[in-house]
Amino acid sequence: MTDDTTGLVLFTVTVAAVATLIILPPGVAAAYALARWRGPGRGLVDTVLALPLVLPPTAVGLVLLELLGRNGPLGRLLDAVGVEVVFTPGAVVLASAVMAFPLLVRSARSGFEEVDPRLVAVARTLGDSRARAFFRVTLPLAWRGVAVGALLAFSRALGEFGATVLVAGNIPGRTQTLSLAIFQYTQLGQDAQALRLAGVAALLAFVAVYATEGLTRWRGRRVRA
Amino acid sequence: MAGTAGARVSLELSVRLPLARFALEVDVRLEGASVAVLGRSGSGKTSLLEILAGLRRGARGRVVVGGRVLLDSAAGVDMAPEARRMGYVPQDALLFPHLTAEQNVRYGARAGRPSRVEEAVALLELGPLLHRYPATLSGGEKQRVALARALATDPALLLLDEPLAALDVTLKERVLPYLLRVRDEARVPMLYVTHQLGEARVLAKEALLLEDGRVRAAGPASEVLGASARGLLASESEGEENILEGMLERPSEGGTRLRVTEGLSLWVPDAPELPPGTRAAYAVPAEDILLSMGPLSGVSARNVLAGTVVGVEGAGAGEAAATVDIAGTRWVVRLTEASVRELGVASGVRVHLAVKTAACRRLR
Repeated sequence: MTDDTTGLVLFTVTVAAVATLIILPPGVAAAYALARWRGPGRGLVDTVLALPLVLPPTAVGLVLLELLGRNGPLGRLLDAVGVEVVFTPGAVVLASAVMAFPLLVRSARSGFEEVDPRLVAVARTLGDSRARAFFRVTLPLAWRGVAVGALLAFSRALGEFGATVLVAGNIPGRTQTLSLAIFQYTQLGQDAQALRLAGVAALLAFVAVYATEGLTRWRGRRVRA
Repeated sequence: MAGTAGARVSLELSVRLPLARFALEVDVRLEGASVAVLGRSGSGKTSLLEILAGLRRGARGRVVVGGRVLLDSAAGVDMAPEARRMGYVPQDALLFPHLTAEQNVRYGARAGRPSRVEEAVALLELGPLLHRYPATLSGGEKQRVALARALATDPALLLLDEPLAALDVTLKERVLPYLLRVRDEARVPMLYVTHQLGEARVLAKEALLLEDGRVRAAGPASEVLGASARGLLASESEGEENILEGMLERPSEGGTRLRVTEGLSLWVPDAPELPPGTRAAYAVPAEDILLSMGPLSGVSARNVLAGTVVGVEGAGAGEAAATVDIAGTRWVVRLTEASVRELGVASGVRVHLAVKTAACRRLR
């Protein structure tokens, strides 16, 4: 691997990891709320959260660009405090995070749905507050769903292209990830380079998906009371 | 019955909770040493426990346990479940599957609060099970762990939901003998839901009879667990049994006897492995007892007990149940209505009961 490739891999993995960590707290909170909330509006929230999964990624990127661009409503606020997001590494993280969020929420939610609420009730009678029971019973029993969701989100972030290219551009050494680099090399006719990077990407994806599968199997094998 | 009075905690229940088919309306005061709550399935028994534990939203009224106000909707008091000190044991145990038996038992023990972990482990004989996960425990073992988990928090009152009726618990595994120890040795007041009259008779000092969410009878167990209880539970009192608790003796002529009271000892299946003096509980099914009007001789049954009929009532489908007093203990005998008529079985009549040794099955 050339230094160039090492840098690309490091940047790509870091971006995916940071994006996953950022969405973890709100993702777990949203998943738990969706798993327990029985009132109206559930279907609507579900649908909105699933949108990034089904929309063309470029459409999501466009929305982000409009929001965060210098003339966008959020961009103007950020500009006022001297923060620029568009076409920065931060934009790569943001695009990946948005695209990966629904995957985390879906898996974590099914993890929470498997937890019998009566176990939480028992924990309460044994002296736990609501919050304590969440961390001692609900989360430990749902953690594999959360972990699988985080790995899926990480894998999704690794290969993100459409939203990223719109909101972060394709700037070598600044916002360029593996998938963006592959695109660039093919555009330049350097198919051998592109193929080499594709191989590296395949290896990364393999490791991430294999880990996810392993966790899923473990979760399935789990003995139940 | 050799049990002690046990600890008591006064109970004041005056609650209303709308359920699917009817409203649960309970208004009783109990001494609260050991209370059986009886009723058919769906009569509101479990809901009543959940109200006490603070797990039911929407209950209105007053719940006072041992002077502590847990619920007073008029005054806006609704104590959180974690503050109530109710030791809740659900029917299906609901152990935490990600924790070992020991971690389950220790779950509610906190620094700076009285804990009865060691006592609970010893009392329920959990030593060999402590390192195991719930998925590897049998139904009876799970219930013992759940009981210990509740007991370990030093609860003001144990709430037991049909602890003796879970489907996967075999006769040998029944927790009844352990419940007797919890009552008499740990001396924790308990309120338990059951539909088994035999169990209620041996465990309870007081009883509460529910029908469609309303109290049909409440008070001393000896009064409540009579005719009206059987009538109410008729469809579910199949397999009614007499439960006897006492001390084992090994007379010189061989065999094993259970000494229940001064005037009542029973031959039970020989159990040489149990040392004399062991406390034990036995179940005798009501349909396995033979009732005779005259003295019995030349029968193979080793236990022939003289007593007086104190009540007879129909149990439906041509069946009847006679309650017989033998040396201060109450026995229930199943017979047909035809036999009742032909023999003239009625209150006050002297009778003899023949009980085969093999019909006495040791619990645990």
